[in-house]
Amino acid sequence: MSTTARGPIGIGPHTARRREGLTLDRRGFLGVFGAGILGTTLYGCAGRPRLLEVAESAVPESTPASRKVASICGNCVNKCGFIARVEGDRVVKLDPNPHFPKSRSMLCAKGNAGVQVVHDPDRLKHPLIRTGPRGSGQWRKASWDEALELTARRMMEIKEKYGPHGMLFSSTEGFQERFFRTFAAAWGSPNVVRHPSLCLASGNVAFFATFGTVPEYDLEHCEYVIVSGANRAEAFVTPDTIDMMTRARQGKTRLVYLDPRFSVTASRAGTWLPIRPGTDMAFYLAMLHVLIADKLYDEAFVRTYTHGFDELVAHVEPFTPEWAEGETEIPAREIRRITREFAAAAPRAVVYRGRRSSWYGNDTYMRQAMALVNVLVGNWDRQGGLVPKESIALGKPELPELPWPDEERIDGIEERHPLARTEDGAYVDLRQRVLDARPYPVKGWMIYKQNPLHALPDRARTRAMLEQMDFVAVIDIVPSDTAWMADVILPESTYLERDDPVEGFHQPYPFLAWRRQVIRPHFETRPCLEIMQGLAAKLGLESYFDYDIDRYIDLQLAKPGIGREVFDATGVWSDRNSRKYGTTLVEDYRFRTPSGKIEVANERFRRRGYAPLPVYQSPPQPPRGKFRLLPGKQAYFTHAANQNNLWLHELCPENSLWINAAVARERGIAEGDELLVRSPVGQVRVRAHVTEGIRKDCVHLPHGFGQRSAGLHQAVGKGASDQDLIAAASDVITGNAALHETFVTIEKV
Amino acid sequence: MANKQYGMVIDPRSCLDCKACVVACKAENHVPLGASRNWVRHSLVGTFPKLQAVIEPGQCNHCSEAPCVEVCPTGASHFAAGGTVQITREECIGCQLCMEACPYGARYYDEQSEKVDKCSFCWHRVERGLEPACVVTCPTKVRVFGDLNDPTSRVARKLAEHPSVVLKPEEQTRPNIHYITD
Repeated sequence: MSTTARGPIGIGPHTARRREGLTLDRRGFLGVFGAGILGTTLYGCAGRPRLLEVAESAVPESTPASRKVASICGNCVNKCGFIARVEGDRVVKLDPNPHFPKSRSMLCAKGNAGVQVVHDPDRLKHPLIRTGPRGSGQWRKASWDEALELTARRMMEIKEKYGPHGMLFSSTEGFQERFFRTFAAAWGSPNVVRHPSLCLASGNVAFFATFGTVPEYDLEHCEYVIVSGANRAEAFVTPDTIDMMTRARQGKTRLVYLDPRFSVTASRAGTWLPIRPGTDMAFYLAMLHVLIADKLYDEAFVRTYTHGFDELVAHVEPFTPEWAEGETEIPAREIRRITREFAAAAPRAVVYRGRRSSWYGNDTYMRQAMALVNVLVGNWDRQGGLVPKESIALGKPELPELPWPDEERIDGIEERHPLARTEDGAYVDLRQRVLDARPYPVKGWMIYKQNPLHALPDRARTRAMLEQMDFVAVIDIVPSDTAWMADVILPESTYLERDDPVEGFHQPYPFLAWRRQVIRPHFETRPCLEIMQGLAAKLGLESYFDYDIDRYIDLQLAKPGIGREVFDATGVWSDRNSRKYGTTLVEDYRFRTPSGKIEVANERFRRRGYAPLPVYQSPPQPPRGKFRLLPGKQAYFTHAANQNNLWLHELCPENSLWINAAVARERGIAEGDELLVRSPVGQVRVRAHVTEGIRKDCVHLPHGFGQRSAGLHQAVGKGASDQDLIAAASDVITGNAALHETFVTIEKV
Repeated sequence: MANKQYGMVIDPRSCLDCKACVVACKAENHVPLGASRNWVRHSLVGTFPKLQAVIEPGQCNHCSEAPCVEVCPTGASHFAAGGTVQITREECIGCQLCMEACPYGARYYDEQSEKVDKCSFCWHRVERGLEPACVVTCPTKVRVFGDLNDPTSRVARKLAEHPSVVLKPEEQTRPNIHYITD
């Protein structure tokens, strides 16, 4: 096993020399974003010790050279298929798996950079126990047994002092997240919280309440797509993105895109509408108004399949396009034109919900308005429209009975947000309740694959929440900002080093795929299942983990009656090769809603005391001298997870604040100037990106930068975190974080 | 192999600047940190709200009249099979004259090896009947690669079906990468 530039052993002098010596001046014409891309800010960390150097013997013995393994990416939620080229125990290249029905023949920058995930010199290599003050970065290497023993002991101390509910468990999606959640349930705390209330909870609740299920979009066959702020081309390159963008390029889909910012998606849309921030619902209410007033809706569909249409007729009567123009700054005639075109293209026409729906306090209603535009044109369960998810059922082990939690959840979600998914929790509320110790103290926190210091608005409060804990354990693959604040770090094997459970996919039709191990784990890392098993054994909870991963997979596959050899040829398996349409459009079909129909006037909302139809409030405007802060993502990174990846870091070493060129001129701000940005909850320094591509009333800061963990040698100290600025706020119905409500001031430093 | 002319047709308006090609190339060709064999230029034209994004992926054009080949004192940069421009690493003395001569900035100097390098069209793959890594990984299939001299090839048909330009035609380098303009 030799050490190379991308070696797992750490950066040797060989590599350092190579890096410093590069000639970086060659490409002066790289373009506006190119200036910072190559060569800048890469180093400045030479001589600092790598967290967790290990001996070469930690690398497993070589396996047969030059293999190919079909497996599944783990760098974002999308899970694209790839074929890994492996030499010995090194992953040398990841190529798209053309047989994978969902991702077909794409692999994005993050997917390609998976090579660096496994061979990242900064990755966590063995368990660590904190030796200095919390956050000091003083650690010692520990054996698994010692780290698990300590974790179990500290958890038991919390249990004795505060009860099982004194432990909080938080996690983010992943193929092994289920084992973490099983462990949390077996422990018996009600306090389990996941990412949806920082992401898509409001959208899910709105669509579920309307259709009784959260549907997929059949973009492959769609001919007209309206998108609000879901910046697919720039923020998240997935199969949905590809279908939308390639069909738009081929003239098969017309794309209408609403965004205060001229993103890549805006540039690829036939129509870009630079909407006034926070007024998207007004646009959709006006569309509903026009659909009804001009009788453009699918009357037969509405009559047969929906409930409460008459209430909507009365509700949207005042919401004329002229009214909406005053709110959105989109001309009324444009709203009329788009609505007419949309109705003409139906049912192959959709309002695309997007993924992160954590914008404003009325987000669930905004997404409901989007759902209702879809309902009225009858695109439900038709080709090119919204389609219910289909799946192939998998088996699972039978677990012993889980204990009832000994207390109510601390976030009070059942009372405060009864329509939200209890088991996902309401993170912003939860943090405040923990800080207030209301109604009881929570003093232990176990975190899996999540980085709350970057995920939640108002980072100072998250830090305070961490600091008030008696005990924090983090399971991760890199020393994230949150891991840096832990007492114990338990290093997980990366997605390339594990066999994971078989996973069911829905798009473009149901299929199964198996993430199989590409290489054996490097260093002393373990898959989540084994970490949970180890901990369960120390806590007397081993009966919940009476299986290994092989047994788990066998149990899964017993249900469809297949063996794992079905994955040998292509990595995927299905009993069909296309989507079915119209399965819910049959007589006597009962939608999973109180009325049994698709709900226009929403009975779930009404029962819980909410208005059954979207309630619009004109958003407050930034006072003079202030700007609305709009966070957003770049497709090179998943949240704050991989800014430290050597290859991705090069693409964008730091973020900068987008500011309108005219506004910048007035204030004497030039491209690259350092700015002091202040909000009611914090301040950051960040460079200016002066651009014509954003409205004057808002500024934009890409998410995931401003990392503070000194264990992240590339990312530490680069750029600024949006979460230092964004004040805590949440959607009334679901408790989903509302990330677009903060105003900031800007001054040149 | 006689008379083959490998080349690419790039549809810049399909490009999302996702840089999958940049990272794929890096992995495929062991390109050192800080250097890159391909890139995506991205700029805005116009004033708010009348805007256009100009997104343009690029790499070595494998020119048929290649200034890099002309100036290379050792013959390291040379015309190779399939009409491509390649560098024989053993013959490169690192003088960097080719870098100055290239109008496209497509070459970089690697201080580690003390040699110049650039896009090879993934020749090690093409030889085995595979496409270049950047072509394979691209989500929106911006690049089409193949033999421009074979009128039945996808790349030749694509070129025939669409109006296109080459970069810096005034340099008279006869690039073999064509950009679709419609």
